[in-house]
This record gives sequence, structure tokens and C-alpha cells, in this order.
Amino acid sequence: MFERVEVFYRPASVREAVRLLAGGKGRARIVAGGTDLVVDGDPTARALIDITHSGLAYIRKQGGGCAIGAATTMAELEESRTILALGGGILARAAATCGSIQIRGVATVGGNLANGSPAADLVTPLLVLDAVVVVADAKGRRKLPIAEYLAARGTKGLRQSLLVEVTAPRPLGRRCGWSFQKLGRTALDISVVNVAAGLQVDGAGRIQWARVALGAVAPTAIRAGATEENLQGRTLDAEAIAQAAEGVMREVSPISDVRASAAYRREMCRVLTRRALEECAAQAGCAL
Amino acid sequence: MTGRKVVGVNVRKVEGHKLVTGAPAFTDDIEMQGMLYGKILPSPHAHARIKRIDTRKAKALAGVHAVLTYKDVPRVPHTTAGQAWPEPSPYDTYLLDSKVRFVGDRVAAVAAESRAIAEKALRLIEVDYEVLPAVIDMELAMAPGAAVIHDEPDSTKIYDRSHNIAGYILREIGSVEQGFRESDFVVEREFRTHRQQHTPLEPHITICWLDPNGRLVIRTSSQVPYHTRRQVGQILQIPVSSIHVIKPRMGGGFGGKQEMLLEDICGALTLASRRPVKMEFTREEEFYMARSRHPQRLRMKMGVKRDGTVLASQLTVLATTGAYGSHSTTVQGNTGSKVLPLYRAPHMRFECHVVYTNAPVAGAFRGYGCPQGFFAQETLVDEIACELGMDPLDFHRMNVIRLGDTDLLSAQLGEGKEGLPRVVRSCGLPQCMESAARAIGWAQKRKKFPSGHSHLRRGVGMACTMQGSGIAGVDWASAFLKMNEDGSFYLQVGASDVGAGADTVLSQIAAETLGVTLDKVIITSGDTDITPFDVGAYASSTTIISGGAVKKAAGKVRAQVLEVASRMLDAPVDQLDCANNEVFTTCACRKAVSMTDLAMQAMYKEKFQIMDGASHFNTDSPPPFCATFAEVEVDTETGQVHVLHLASAVDPGTAINPMQAEGQVEGAVAQGLGYALTEELVLDADGRPLNPNFLDYKMFGFQDMPKLTTILIETDEPLGPYGAKSISEVPINGPAPAIANAIFHAVGIRIRKLPIRPEDVLRALHAERPANLDEEAMFAL
Repeated sequence: MFERVEVFYRPASVREAVRLLAGGKGRARIVAGGTDLVVDGDPTARALIDITHSGLAYIRKQGGGCAIGAATTMAELEESRTILALGGGILARAAATCGSIQIRGVATVGGNLANGSPAADLVTPLLVLDAVVVVADAKGRRKLPIAEYLAARGTKGLRQSLLVEVTAPRPLGRRCGWSFQKLGRTALDISVVNVAAGLQVDGAGRIQWARVALGAVAPTAIRAGATEENLQGRTLDAEAIAQAAEGVMREVSPISDVRASAAYRREMCRVLTRRALEECAAQAGCAL
Repeated sequence: MTGRKVVGVNVRKVEGHKLVTGAPAFTDDIEMQGMLYGKILPSPHAHARIKRIDTRKAKALAGVHAVLTYKDVPRVPHTTAGQAWPEPSPYDTYLLDSKVRFVGDRVAAVAAESRAIAEKALRLIEVDYEVLPAVIDMELAMAPGAAVIHDEPDSTKIYDRSHNIAGYILREIGSVEQGFRESDFVVEREFRTHRQQHTPLEPHITICWLDPNGRLVIRTSSQVPYHTRRQVGQILQIPVSSIHVIKPRMGGGFGGKQEMLLEDICGALTLASRRPVKMEFTREEEFYMARSRHPQRLRMKMGVKRDGTVLASQLTVLATTGAYGSHSTTVQGNTGSKVLPLYRAPHMRFECHVVYTNAPVAGAFRGYGCPQGFFAQETLVDEIACELGMDPLDFHRMNVIRLGDTDLLSAQLGEGKEGLPRVVRSCGLPQCMESAARAIGWAQKRKKFPSGHSHLRRGVGMACTMQGSGIAGVDWASAFLKMNEDGSFYLQVGASDVGAGADTVLSQIAAETLGVTLDKVIITSGDTDITPFDVGAYASSTTIISGGAVKKAAGKVRAQVLEVASRMLDAPVDQLDCANNEVFTTCACRKAVSMTDLAMQAMYKEKFQIMDGASHFNTDSPPPFCATFAEVEVDTETGQVHVLHLASAVDPGTAINPMQAEGQVEGAVAQGLGYALTEELVLDADGRPLNPNFLDYKMFGFQDMPKLTTILIETDEPLGPYGAKSISEVPINGPAPAIANAIFHAVGIRIRKLPIRPEDVLRALHAERPANLDEEAMFAL
């Protein structure tokens, strides 16, 4: 599968990795768990740069939020107390649905984002957590909000850079609710649809802010901006949830493929969004 | 039991140690000096003629040792179906041809020093195709003006090539017209089934070489070594005596390896290159270049009296065999002959068209036509019972075939010809139904469900199924035994253990008959130079047919042992018995001689090799029976169906090795669950496979498996060795209809198309069940 790969590097630092990437003239590929790269077997790859020894496997508390190194595995996310405590643990929950236990033992956060699949399990929770992606290239490090990263991922500006870290700020305040919902065909499956949601209500049960992200229903995972706006300031009740669930159906642009039809995906956006917001409401202490 | 020491005991697999320690047991576990890698250039088109093919660049590539196209090989019409001669399948296939008939069909083949060079050589082959209109939809195959897939004049045994009909079957007993007239209720429904793939852990793999005598050795993962030897000889036009087929351990076959699939082309590359050649399908190739289950459209009509008595049943099937007719009429024949006679209707009619399409080739697959037929029949029967206000279990109790019954439809529908009437000489079906019903909690749950107003709704459903044990009058096997100095026995069988445990079961039968412990039997199986003939592992035949041969051979050898013992112990043969590795007198004197001493006596004093062989066949195919009960939970918002509990009670006759028998049931159930709910090889409009990978072809994994209850209801089959029938196929038939019926019980919709996809469930829920429909009213139907 990599018959034309000439060299395999294992840099000991990010600086070295970035240098190797720049020197690869577009034919070097970053590899960590290899669960996408090896399957794809890109015939244009001439050099592989393994970043699992570049000091990028870590989960750190950082200013109330956390910083996650790109080479952190799904298994590590799943079990990390820091991640379990962050945003109701939705990131850990998403990581736990990502492939088999063998896959989760090697697949990494960086790979899940950099591969750019619209169905990537970590992306919707990270969108809802307002995560920031840190990339490095020869010129230094840059921070990008995750939505911006997803949009720019394939562009020239990012192609020669290495995703090194994802940071999530600590969501402040009381009466927050969080949820991650995934629909697959079997227990081990890429998402047919996945939905993450987070919100906060005030003392009167009014929604201060709400975030809803949907995966596998658009070219990248998306935030349902209009739905979020409509929720803001409303009392979190069954009607608000039902309207939001209807609303997301207008914000998605799913396709039909061998996994599901577009119509089914759209309908499932409604169902999963409703379930996600109901779970958020329960956590935020709102009776529906 | 009957004082048996080895049969009926859960001994460990005889090859278990070898397998778990990773000993080099499988086809791929050898490396030959100078071995080349063979690859096939697959057709990118569903239907095309090769106008020009130029292999010069490929041949010139360093490391390439052979490139073959249709111009280089003999043109011999044949079938790849590994069936007894004369095969009932059409002779419509060629080693290589100037026409391709499905995406993945052979265009050319190369052998090169590495896989990479072989793949590069394939890319260097220049082909100009004349792309022809393709027939992908089987409903259009017979339509006027449809492209003719087999227009070549030299193919034979095709029913009607100008209309793409590979085979046609029509059989009737009694008169269904009369039966329907006499019925109080007649219900007719249409069902659809899909393309499932076998997905063996070990894909098809073959290594060929020329031995020092110039004979072609074929080491291959095959269920049918002997048929393969005959067919390769026919195709390559070399004598059978110059071919040696070896079947090592196998990583599963499930029917997909009842097929001569790589052996011919691998052998041709070996003959062309004079070097060992290995060919192995990648997983992707296995999905569409190997075989799959026949998709069918079934129209089933049944007539019953008001009290539930079945009077007439009629099944009309349209099936597609894909581009070639491998197993075409025989699989479809089973859809009628093994399904309809489950009910004691005096009037039955079965009609079937098997059509060609420009699609991946269908073939033998565990169940062999029965999963499709039983899905239709058992779903229809459930509907009829519910319409009559009967408990489906009562309906089954009343109507299913019984001990002593003769199944006349089987007499009309044999393996490609008239068959033989089937008499039920053992039948545990009533106990199967009762015990599986108890396991699932049928009596309580049929009443209790559906309950609550949650979006999760539970229901229970059932199905009864049967199969055969070998093909009556066709399947036969032989076995040979010889005694060694230490009192052990060498057992040689042509039977082909596919991983299901045949070697263990056959050794158990030999050990039991000879009165020795299992470690005293050393088995070699599936080697055409060493072992005597066996048709192979298919049609649920190995335990009953090969086992029958082993029992006969062991009986003859036992008689020789007793002769020697009679002289040693000075006792008449009729007062001798053997057990625990010794022969002893049954009279009061209790004299005994060990098998070791006896062997030494025979070999060195009497100069006599204790040895004998036997052949065996049956003129009947005793049916194993199965009752499958499922409990499901339907998510009415997503349409997802979650199977909570699946209970299978199976009558295999005697279970020679109950643990292995249970393993066969559980394996069949896992495959049956996938068939029911998730597994489908999907083609696009141009016949290209959309999901030839495990990412998007979804099988049941450990986390998806429901609670399983597996019950063996043992009976004593007069035609089987130690009362054994078969078990490996029958449990795959039940899950789909049992689940469909449980879904009806849970949410009131009838599913008549497989696999049962969430989208289809949801659509049916929206269409058939207005949200405010009163639950009580619905279930009082």
C-alpha cells in the first residue's frame, strides 16, 4: 500500500516534524495512528512523518479548560478525568464511539480532525465546546477556531502545517447541559448522523446560549447557527426543543449514499437534535 | 445415553492446538522458492466486448513471468460450481473470454515476482472495450430487447439464452387452484431479498506449483478439492492424474468456496510460467469477484381453512444468478423444495425463473436458497395466523410436517433432476418450538407487548425452518482406515473441513466405532493424492455422508481387529467388544488385549495390515429442524431495530459434538442476523459495487449480538451415523422472518424486504401507522 514511500521519519519534536513536512515538497504525509492514512494508501506519498514521538500525546488542564495534544489517542480521551469533566464529558463519549477498541488504541485526535471527514466523531463535540485548533508550520504557531480550521483544512495555507493541539475553554457558569448523540448502522460504525449540543439556562429557565453541531450532513460538520440564535433567550421547554429540532433540518445539506438517504439523514437530524436538547435540558435542571 | 465414550462428548477440536499456537496450517502459511504473485485484471464494465487487448508492455516489464488473455488459453465451457459430475449448472463460463459480463469479470491475468509488479503489469495492459448495454435490474432481464448476456454459441445447459434465463423450474403436487378454491382465506404477498456476501475470514487463496514429476499441485482453500481437481483438468485440458489438490486448514467457506474460483487461472499461470504462483483475493475483490447469495423476488400465496389448516401454497420466484449460472437452478430449487414442505399442504406449486444479469455472480451460500424462501413463507404464515386471530405458535403446531410424513415436493425437485421422496424419520420440531418459546418467554410476552408510550417498542416473533442433510442420491463420500503399531489408527477422508469441525466429528465417529480414545485417531482430510473421494463440504452433508463412510470403514476395520483379537484371546468374535483402547471378552472370563499388543501381533506375527475403506451415500436427505424466536426493540423515531434476544432450538439428530454443534448454530445466527438487518452488497446503476469493504458492508460484531439461547433437541436419525443429521445451515434461515414478525408484534408493520433497514422501517411506520392510532385497536386486528 505504500510501495512508493521512500522514507519514514520519527521526529522527536514539533519543530523537527514541521521542518520535515516543509522539506517533503508536498509528498510527505503526517502519520500517527495510521487508521486513515494506511487505509487510504495515498499513492503520491513518498515520505511518512510519524508524530507519535514528537511530544504531542498529552491532556493538560489549561486555564479551567484543557489542551489536548494531536497525538492523544481516542482511548486516552475516553478515560481522561479532565476530558470526562469537560462539557459533560461529551468529547469522551464521542471518542468512545470511534471505531473498535483496537482502532481507539491508536487513532488520534489530530487524525480525526485532519482527515476532514464530515462524519468525524470528535468534531461536533469540539464545535460545541468552542474549541480552538493550534497548527504549526515553518513560520510558527497559529490558532484557529475549529470551524475556521475545518473550512481551511484543504487549502494551500494549511497543507504544509501540522495540527499540534486542540484547546477547549472551560465553559463557565451553572445550569449547563451537554449531549452527544450518534446514529450508526451497527455498534461499530461511522456516523450516519451525529449531533452534539450544549447550552446554559438562567435562573428563570431562559436559554443564555445554545450550541448545536451536526455531523455527516454537510461537507463538513456544521454549527446550526440559525437554530442556536432562535433558542437564545427562549425558555427551554418542549416547544422550543421541537422548533429547534425542526429548524436544524433547514440548516443541513445531507447527501444520499450507501449508508443512508438524504431524506433519512435530514429526519434523523431532527430526532437526534431533539434528543440532544432534551438531555441538555435534563442536565440543566429544566423539566419539560 | 447409550454408553458412548466419544460420540456425544464435547471433545476439543483435533486441530485446536495447531490453530491457537499459530502453526503454519493455512494455505498462505507456506513460502515457495521463486513464488510469483498472480493478479486478475478485473473488468471495469458490466458488459463489454474486448475489441483489442495488447499485453506487450506488461510482458516487457521486468519481473513479469506470464500474462494471459483469452488468446492464450483453451476455450472450454464449464461451470465454476463445485458440484458432482455432471454439474446441473450451465456451462457458461470460460477461463478467459473476449467478452466480460460483470464489473470484476476476468479480462487478463499476470504472474510477477511481487504483488506490486503484478499490479503495475495490470496497468500496462491496454484494452479497448466495446461497451454493451448492461442488464443490472433482474426484473428487466427477460424483457424484450434486453441485452443478451450469453450470446456465445458454445455455452450449454442454458435454459433460454436469448431471454437471459439461466434456469426455469416448475413443479406442482396436487392442484393449487383447487386448494385455493377450497380455502376460506387466501393471502398473497410479494417479498424481496438481497445480495449477501460470505465474508470468510480467509479470502479465496490458491498456491499452485509443479512438483518434481511435473504434476500440478494446487494448495487451495476449497470446500470441494475433488470437484476442483476434475474441473481444473477439464478447463486446462490436462489429465486428472497430473493434478494434486491439497486443502489445508480453512478460515471459513460458508458456500463461497464450493466453487472452483482461482484454481484454474492460478494453475494456468503456473503452467505458463513454470513457477509457483500464489493468488489471493483482497477483501475488496472477495466482495465482488467471489460469490454472493442470490437476490430474489418472491410472490407467495397461501390458502387456509378458517381453523388454520393450510390447504395450498404457491411460491413464484424471480432470482438472479448474476453474470454466470453457478448453482443457479439448484439454489433456487431449494427455495421451493426445502421450504414449502414445512407445511402439510396437499397442494403445492413452485415456479422459478433464474435470470442472468451483469452483476456479481451468485452461488452457494449457507442456507442455499432457504433463507429467501423461509423469509417469505414464515412472514406470510405469521400474517395469516394474526389475521385468523391465532397465536402463530398454535398455527405452527397445527400445520408443520411431522414424524412419518413424506415430503413429495422433494421427489420432484432434486439436484438438477427428479429427486427422491423425503420421509421424516426423526423430528424434534415440536420440542424445538416449545423449548425456544419458553426461552423467549413467548406466552407472557405475546400478551404483554406492546406496552408503554415510549418510542422504544418491544415485540416477539417466531419462525420454523428446515433444511436437508446431504443431497439425496447424489452426495457420497469415502473413508479409509489403517492401524499403526501403537494401536492408533490413521483415518483418511476426502471430506473438507472448512473450519466447522468436520475433522473432529469424523475422528469421534471413528474412535467410537473402534473403541479407542480420540487421541488414537490421526486424521488427514481433503487431499486428492492421499485421501479417497468425497464430494466435499456442502449441502449439510459432511457429518451424515462422510460420517457415514467413516462409520462403515471403521466397522470393517473393527471386524478385522476383532478377528485378530479372537485368535489372541481364544474367544469367538461375537463375545468380543472394544473400548478404551482394548479388546475384551464380554463373557464372565473378562480377558482383554490392548490395541497396541493387538497391532504388534497383527503386523509382525500375522504379517497383516489391519485396514479397510468404505463408501457411503443416502437415498434420502433427512431434514434437521429449527425453531427461531426473536425479541426485538424498535425505535419508532429512528426506525432502528435492536434484537434483544434470539433463541434457536435445533434438531440435528444426534449431536456428535454438542459444543461444536452449538458453535455452528451461533455462527449461523450471527450471519442470519446480518442477513436480516445490515449486510447487503449494493451496486450502482452501472453494476459497480458501492460497499466492497467492512466499513460500509455492515456485519454483526460482538457488540451488536443479542443475548443468544441455543438449544439442541437431539433425535435419533436412522439414516445418520449414530443418529446424526446436520446443523450448520438450518439455523441461518430463521432470524430474518422471526425478526420481521417480532417487528410486526412491536409496531404493527409488515416488513417484506431484506435487509430490514431503519429507513424502510421508519417509512413503513409513517405510512401504515398514523401517530394517533389507538394501540388496542391495532392489535385487535
